[in-house]
Amino acid sequence: MDKKSLRKSSFPVKASALIMGSGQLMYKQWVKGLLYLLVFAATVVYMILMGAEDIVGFFTLGTEEADPWLGTSGDDSVIMLLRGLLAFFIIIAFFAVHFSNIRDILEIDKKVRAGKPVPGFVKSVSIFMDRKFYIVALILPVAGVLVFNILPIVFMILIAFTNYGGDTVPPKLVDWIGFGNFVKILSLSDIKSTFFKILAWNILWAVLSTFINYFGGLFLALLLNKKCVKGKAFWRAFPILAYAVPGFITMLAFKFMFSYGGPINYYITSAGGSAVGFLDIDAGIKAKLIGLFVNAWISIPTSMLLATGILSNMNTDLYEAASIDGASKWKQFIKITLPFVIFSTTPVLITSFIGNFNNFGIFYFLRGGLYMDGYFLASDTDLLINWLYNLSIDNNYYGIGAAVSLIIFIITSIFSLTVYVRSSAYRREDTFR
Amino acid sequence: MIYGTGKKKVKIMVSAIACVLAAQTFTGCGKESSVTGGGETIVLHILENDTAKSEGYLEELLNAFNEAYKDKGIQAVDANMDEYTDLAANGPYGYGPDVLYQANDKLMTYAEDKHILSLAIEDFECYEYVPEEAWDAFKIVLDGETYYCGVPVNIQEPMLFYRADMMPENWEEEWDDDGNGVADFFENWNDLYAYSSYLRENDTSSNKDSRYGFMASLNNLYLSSQFIFSYGGYVFGQNDDGTLDSTDVGFSAGNTAYGMNALKQMAALMNEGCIDDTITLNRYEKVASGAYFCAVSTPDTYGLFVEKLALKYEEEGLSASDAQAKAEENLCMIEMPALMPADGDLSTDSADMGEDDWVNTIVMGGVNGYGISSYTEHREACIEFVDFATSYEMIKLRADTLGIAPTRSDVAQEQGGLTDMIFNSLSEGRIYLMPSIKAVDQIWVPMQTIMSDIAKDAFRERNGETVKYPDLNSLQSALETADKNVYDAIYTLSD
Repeated sequence: MDKKSLRKSSFPVKASALIMGSGQLMYKQWVKGLLYLLVFAATVVYMILMGAEDIVGFFTLGTEEADPWLGTSGDDSVIMLLRGLLAFFIIIAFFAVHFSNIRDILEIDKKVRAGKPVPGFVKSVSIFMDRKFYIVALILPVAGVLVFNILPIVFMILIAFTNYGGDTVPPKLVDWIGFGNFVKILSLSDIKSTFFKILAWNILWAVLSTFINYFGGLFLALLLNKKCVKGKAFWRAFPILAYAVPGFITMLAFKFMFSYGGPINYYITSAGGSAVGFLDIDAGIKAKLIGLFVNAWISIPTSMLLATGILSNMNTDLYEAASIDGASKWKQFIKITLPFVIFSTTPVLITSFIGNFNNFGIFYFLRGGLYMDGYFLASDTDLLINWLYNLSIDNNYYGIGAAVSLIIFIITSIFSLTVYVRSSAYRREDTFR
Repeated sequence: MIYGTGKKKVKIMVSAIACVLAAQTFTGCGKESSVTGGGETIVLHILENDTAKSEGYLEELLNAFNEAYKDKGIQAVDANMDEYTDLAANGPYGYGPDVLYQANDKLMTYAEDKHILSLAIEDFECYEYVPEEAWDAFKIVLDGETYYCGVPVNIQEPMLFYRADMMPENWEEEWDDDGNGVADFFENWNDLYAYSSYLRENDTSSNKDSRYGFMASLNNLYLSSQFIFSYGGYVFGQNDDGTLDSTDVGFSAGNTAYGMNALKQMAALMNEGCIDDTITLNRYEKVASGAYFCAVSTPDTYGLFVEKLALKYEEEGLSASDAQAKAEENLCMIEMPALMPADGDLSTDSADMGEDDWVNTIVMGGVNGYGISSYTEHREACIEFVDFATSYEMIKLRADTLGIAPTRSDVAQEQGGLTDMIFNSLSEGRIYLMPSIKAVDQIWVPMQTIMSDIAKDAFRERNGETVKYPDLNSLQSALETADKNVYDAIYTLSD
C-alpha cells in the first residue's frame, strides 16, 4: 500500500497501520483484532524490555567484561549475538504479520464500502484454510526450519565475521572483524597453502569416493540380480551386515587391522616381511587408498540396496527389444540400465557427493592426531571438515572454523545446485513417468 | 458506517485491552526470586576422577564429609559428570560442578579466564605439608598479581612396570656392577639399552617378536618425555617475573637432539608398535605374558597390569585369589632409571662412563588437585570441602585406596617406599611439571608427530629406506620445526 492510498483510506485502515488489529476491532472483528493487537502489544513490550537492547548488543557484542572472581556478570558476547539475531527474526516476523494485518483490514474495508457482509472469525479462518491450505500446512515446518536450521546457520555465518576463538572466548568480549578471518585464510601463507592443498585433495576424495561407492553398489546390485546367481538373499546379507555395524566401530576396527600391532602386520611379519606403516606418518597414498577402501566398505551396501530397488522397476521388455536389435550386454548397460539408474538417483548422487565431501569420520578415526610438515594444524589425509574440527574444536579457533565452514557451504551449494539443475532428473522430470 | 456507530465505546475497549495486555506481559517478565533461605541444606557437587569412583574412594570421602558437616547443613554429592567436563563452557550458564579434581594442566586452563577461584592457600590445613613445587603447579600471575587456584593432592609421573620373576637369574652378578642391590638397568639407560639388546639378540622365536626389553609408545610426549627434558629441553620459557612465556617454545633447547638420538636408538630395539599407540594398548598383556620385560605407564594403571597378570596365572591353573595375590607380589612399579648418557649414545658401556658422562633423568609429570568453580553459589562451603578432602586422614585414605603418591609430606613419609621417592623426585626437580597455561594444549599433536617421525627413522634404516634424520643437525632442525609448529598453533590465528 503506497502513501497516497494510505492517505485516502478510512480511519480503521489508518488505525490498523499504526496499531495492528485496532481497525479490525473498529469493524467489530473482535477475535481477529484481538489476536493482531496481542501480537502488536507483545512485540512492543518485547522491544521495550529486551528487543532494543538485544539489537544494540548485536552490534556492540558487549561492553563490560565479566569477572567470575568478583562475581560481576558482565556481557556474554556469544549470547548477545544470538539474542540480537533472534530480535531481528522477531522483527521480520512482526512485519510479516503487520503486512497480513494491512491486507486484512483493506479487504474488510473494501467489503464494508461495497456494503458486503464481513465474515466473522470462524468463517474467515475457514475461508483461509480452504483457499490457502498450503500456508496452514507449511507454517509449522517452516517455523521449525527457521528455528532449527536457518537460525543456527545464520549464527554460524555471523561467527565467521568475529574474532571468537583462541584467547577471545567468554568471559572475554568478542568483536566484529568483518572479513578478517577470510583474509587470514587467503593471505597467511601457512594457512593459504594448507587450505588449497586440502581443498584439492578434498575434491579428489569426494569425486573418487562417490564414484567408487556408487558404481560399486550398482555393480553388486547387478551381480546379485543375475539369474545365474544362486542364494541371492544369502549373498545380499553380507553387505547389509557391513552396513548394520555402526560406522565408527568399523573405522576403529580397520584402524586396528592396519596398525602396527594389528593382524595384517602380524601376518606380514610372521611370513618374514617387514611391518608396513599403512597409516603412519610416511603412509601418504597408502593411507588415502585405505580411506577410500574403508569408505567403500561402509557406503557400498547403501548404494547396492538403492540400486537393487531401482533395478526391480526396470522394464525387461527394453532388454528384450535391445537384444533383438543386436545390442551387446555392455551396450544395454550403457544405453538402458545406466541412464535409468542415474536419472532416478541423481539427487542421491548429489547428497552422496556432499556426504563424502564432508566425511569427517574416515580420516579422524583412521589417522587422527598428526600435523604434517607443510600443513597448518592438519595432515595430508585430512579433509576440510577435519581441518575445520582441528581449528575449531581442538584449537578453539571458532571464527576461522566458521569461515572455513562457510567456504565449504558455498562450494558444496554451488556444486549441488549446478549438477542438479543441469541433470536430466531436473530438466526432463517426466522422462520415465 | 460501522465504526461510527459506537466509535467511542470501541476506542475505549481497544485502549483497555491494549493496557491489560501490556500490563500482563510486563508482569510475566519479572525475575524469579531466589529460593535460598536459612535452614536449607547446601548441596555441593563434587567432580572426581573415574578411578576414585570405581575404587570406592569418592563414596568414602563423601560419607566422611557429610557425617562431619551434617550439623553445618552442608552436603557433598557426586557431580555425576564426565571427569573432563568443560567448566568454561558450562559454568557460566549455571551447570558444572562446585568442586573439581583434575591435573594441574587441565585445571589451570580454567584459571586464566577465572573459571576457577583463586584461593588463600595459607588458610588450608595442608598448606605447610605440601612442597612449594606442588603449589606452584597451581600458580598463575594475572595483571602482575600472583594467585593460586588449586590445592595439590597427588603427583603423577610415568613409571616403569615389570615382572620380578622376569629378572635375569644372574642379575646380581651380571647386572649389578655397583653391588647396591638394584639392577643397573633400573639405574641408568645405557644398561637398560644393553639389557634390551641382549633380550632382542636372544629372541629365538621364528619372527623374532617374542622378547623385548624396554617398551614404550615413543610418539607419546608424556610417556617418553625423558628424551627431551633430561637434555635441557623445556615446554615454555620463563619471563623475568617467573611466569611462563608461551612465545618461547623450547623443545629444541639445550642438547635435546642428543635425547632424540637416544630415542631413535631405543626405537631400534622395539617393534613398529612404538611409532603409534600399539604399545600403550597392549603393554598390560605383553608384560603379563613376558614378551615385554618392562613398559612405561602411569601409576593409576597399576591395577590393569595386575589384572592381566592375575588372568594369566588363572589360565595356568591358580585360583582367582591366589592368582591375584601372586600377581600383586610379582608386578613391580618403579621410577624410570635415574641417569641418561649426556651424549645421547645409549650404546656406550656404562662401565666406561664417568660421573660427568651422565645427566639426570627428568620426566614430565603432573600434580592433581582440587579447584573450586567460580560459578558455585557456596564458596565458603566449597573451601570447607577442599580443606576436609586434603586433610591428613583423607589423603592417607586416598593413598591407601588408590595407590597415589600424595603431595602431603607427612603422608608421603609415612607411606615410605615409592611414594616417598616420587615425592622427593618432585622436590628435587626430577619431575618437569606440565605447564599450567592454556597454551599447553597446543604442544601435544606437533610433538607426537615429530617423535613418531624420529622413532620411525629406526625402521626406515632397518628396511633400507631413506633415513630422514641421519645426524644430530637434522634432529636439531626437526625439533626446531616442532617448536615453530607449536608456536604457530598458538599464535598464528590468535592476533
